[in-house]
Amino acid sequence: MFKKVVLTSLLLLFGGALMAQSRYTVSGTVKQKSSGETLIGVTVVVAGQPTMGVITNEYGFYSISLPKGSYSLRFSYVGYQQQTMPVNLDANVKVNIELSDDISLQEVVVTSKKDDDNLTQAVMGTETLNMKTASKIPVVFGEKDLVKTIQLMPGVKSNGEGSNGFSVRGGATDQNLILLDEAPVYNASHLLGIFSTFNSDAIKDATIIKGNSPAQFGGRLSSVLDVKMKEGNNKNYQVSGGIGLISSRLTVEGPIQKNKSSFIISGRRTYADLFAKLSSDLKDTKLYFYDLNMKANLEINDKNKLFFSGYFGKDVLGISTLFNSKWGNSTGTLRWNRLISSKLFSNTSFIYSNYDFNVGFKSDGAETNFNSHIKDLNLKQDFTWFANVKNNIRFGFNIIHHTITPTKAGGTDIVSTKKDRKGLENAVYVANAYKATERLSLDYGLRFSFYNVLGGDTYNIYRNNELVKSITLADGKTGKTYINWEPRFSANYRLNDVSSVKAGYARNTQSLHLMSNSTGGSPTDQWIGNSYNIKPGVADQFSAGYSRNFDDNAYELNAEAYYKSMKNQIDYRDGADINTVPDIESELLFGKGRAYGLEILFKKKTGKLTGWIGYTLSKTERQINGINGGAWYNAKHDRTHDLSVVGIYTLSENWTLSGTFIYNTGNAVTFPTGKYPLNDMVMYQYGNRNADRMPATHRLDLSATFERPSRRRFQGSWSFGLYNVYGRKNPYLMTFKENKTDPGKIDAVQTSLFQWVPSISYNFKF
Amino acid sequence: MGVVFLLTSCEKVVELDYKGNQSRIVIEGNISNQPGPYIVKIRKSVALTQTGAYPTVDNAVVIISDNAGHADTLIAQGNGTYLTRKLQGMEGRTYTLAITAENQSYAAQSTMPERVPFDGIKVEEVIFGGETEFNIIPEYVDPAQKGNNYRFELSANDKLMNQHFVQNDEVKNGLKNTARLELSDDEDLKLKRGDVITLKMQCVDAKVALYYKTLALIGDSGPGGGITPNNPPGNISNGALGVFSAHTSETKSITIP
Repeated sequence: MFKKVVLTSLLLLFGGALMAQSRYTVSGTVKQKSSGETLIGVTVVVAGQPTMGVITNEYGFYSISLPKGSYSLRFSYVGYQQQTMPVNLDANVKVNIELSDDISLQEVVVTSKKDDDNLTQAVMGTETLNMKTASKIPVVFGEKDLVKTIQLMPGVKSNGEGSNGFSVRGGATDQNLILLDEAPVYNASHLLGIFSTFNSDAIKDATIIKGNSPAQFGGRLSSVLDVKMKEGNNKNYQVSGGIGLISSRLTVEGPIQKNKSSFIISGRRTYADLFAKLSSDLKDTKLYFYDLNMKANLEINDKNKLFFSGYFGKDVLGISTLFNSKWGNSTGTLRWNRLISSKLFSNTSFIYSNYDFNVGFKSDGAETNFNSHIKDLNLKQDFTWFANVKNNIRFGFNIIHHTITPTKAGGTDIVSTKKDRKGLENAVYVANAYKATERLSLDYGLRFSFYNVLGGDTYNIYRNNELVKSITLADGKTGKTYINWEPRFSANYRLNDVSSVKAGYARNTQSLHLMSNSTGGSPTDQWIGNSYNIKPGVADQFSAGYSRNFDDNAYELNAEAYYKSMKNQIDYRDGADINTVPDIESELLFGKGRAYGLEILFKKKTGKLTGWIGYTLSKTERQINGINGGAWYNAKHDRTHDLSVVGIYTLSENWTLSGTFIYNTGNAVTFPTGKYPLNDMVMYQYGNRNADRMPATHRLDLSATFERPSRRRFQGSWSFGLYNVYGRKNPYLMTFKENKTDPGKIDAVQTSLFQWVPSISYNFKF
Repeated sequence: MGVVFLLTSCEKVVELDYKGNQSRIVIEGNISNQPGPYIVKIRKSVALTQTGAYPTVDNAVVIISDNAGHADTLIAQGNGTYLTRKLQGMEGRTYTLAITAENQSYAAQSTMPERVPFDGIKVEEVIFGGETEFNIIPEYVDPAQKGNNYRFELSANDKLMNQHFVQNDEVKNGLKNTARLELSDDEDLKLKRGDVITLKMQCVDAKVALYYKTLALIGDSGPGGGITPNNPPGNISNGALGVFSAHTSETKSITIP
């Protein structure tokens, strides 16, 4: 019965595709001419028939099926010269295209896609950022940073200065799926959050999807940040690098088989600690990070291609022998692209991901350390079926085996009995991008996800934080299973040549949860999987949008409103010490959340001045039994207003100026309302949770880039930056203490981080 | 963390708008294994910006009883202070506090744990980020039985520090203590050579430990802050602030060499 229902609905859903007449197919790969890098998101249309078109997938592959005849295919991608290719279709043909950089277009391009993609695509809440853009935007210490740039988009809020964590549409930091070549990155920050783990030299582009993700993505409630590494130049060997105040970078890339396959190795290391060694005050201090990105691809034949990508990064922070902390991510992805037929593209990925955290203290000769760990083995199978010009179907499955070591104490005389926990996160999905009419496009899909708690440990069941039952699950046994259906839907209706409306609904679930009791996110935060107490988080998001382009697509306005409700959200009860408590699950409280808002993005895409203005008006609340008397309260990342202005100005052939301005309402916080004496100390009385606001944050950053005219193959450029130009003391911490001279008076003392941070860096390529 | 921030961070006193405060009754009760009388104080909380003395409650009926059949009605001394008359704090006994004040009743219970001897104070001199710092390590041997909680009050040169220190045997049980007290980074509270350190060690029950542990965990507010602050979970009923603690008490002093 069930099988029949599924088959019938599939037939209905994809009827158009299945019943299509037999046609011929033109397919191929689109690459950048100078380096041979594949280009993602290139629009391929049949000339004269603008609705008949497709977009290259994440491997630069496209496929269009058309009735027999002669056509002209147009390949367009902003920043590249458009190319038209005649095709005589009397058999399946392969057309590989190389697009040249658009020389006439010296300006930085804000979006990487076709001029009016925002009007034709059914995808919602999605922004793609290429490194070209990110590299011109000023950041603290002059380190180009993808994650920091993403935070300038509406709906994406930084957790605060000096933090790489971000919140998307009211979600928590752990509700963002951060993928580096498909491998999840569990802690995307370096140096306590000042930098991201993404070395900009090794990154091709990044896409953030704010909740309405296609069915092939899943596992997090709020967003997908899909970061793709460069593949490397398959024509020439190339060395590029940079020297900055904080770090230096070096990248080597080149062909393995000329024009066919390539490799890239990119490394980065900070050297603040080397300067520290020169200073007698700080010579006992260790503070650095490094990371290494590697990628290679190999073309086996016309139809099969292998990709290997690896990332390895580590942070070390130590102060004499008393305090030591190390953490790092490593990921590896092996992908096999296979062209099963000219219409069916397959990708199989084996993914490894590992995150390790260690912190140690020494006191009175005894060492105490805490260690936590998460390791994933992941298999993904994805098929793209270019059924016809109207239907593009994706289906596949994903199995992830998680091994999670909770924060475990070790050191002198310490015996910990905490064991690893295992879980299996599975999903099967199918989705179709359907061009219903010339004006209407629909994306719809279904993701079926199920999570198995696996044996090897004892699971305790708590009710109101009291132990009611213990379940010992033998190794290899499967315990509790959670099942979720996740429908995804979005529609785009083109009103006229310049505007369109959109609507969408998506359900996402999340089986891994980050336990954190700090506001900004810290490396000590630990991941935990579903258990008998912890159920998968569920988020339902409804969104609607309007897009309009002006002046021949030179300007673009996108507005989206959303409402999101979240279930099975987790928090701690008061006084929980997450490092030392024997079973963290005894300290958890559960509840729900809601978030709603309006996002406006206005872009100027061409001309000497490009950039965007992003504004978000939003509200985010939580309701957790046991917190705030069970009443709704502001989530800590709730901010009413969030504004970012980004401008990039091409002054001359050599000089580019850029600036960003941000303004946001302070985070929701709990300030004391009263005070009282206890045991001769002054104590603070608190009212409603998160009812107060930190002072607002605003800041202007500027930078200038000078590109020296290239001498033969050598290209060099200088970047100068000034962070926080007018020296605003933005709030980072608020501390309450008795006034030194008048102890009856309580002072609020605000700590700020960065004022006027200048930077200079030199980049080269040959 | 300090290293990065030292280079750039700065502090300033700011004016904030505070939400209205609901004045609540504050009960402070301590019973120790030292000779009495023991003190219960009943006062009221005030708005954060208010200065001057705290309001007191002077006409309450305060009774402390133990599980060995003793009961003591405390004598009001004025200024919100009540003294026991004859009660003697004993290890292992459970004490019940009952208060009737302003037509409301408040009750609390606390058990005095067995005393763990306070052997001394160890001062460890360390260089941390280029500066000499002093770690204070209370010396005691945790008993084999799990579930011990310790609270400390630290004074430097007879000035009590407004900081909360709690240790327990969750990670290391039945061993000599080596953990230092986690002193605040506040420059004003920095210990110096020649300071006279006085440390009071109390063996407290789990609820009292949770109360002070919550206070110790409450960090600063803001993006870089710690856990969201809240009124700590006390052991007194009917919404009173404060805590009733039956504990052993032992004090030692040392001069930082």
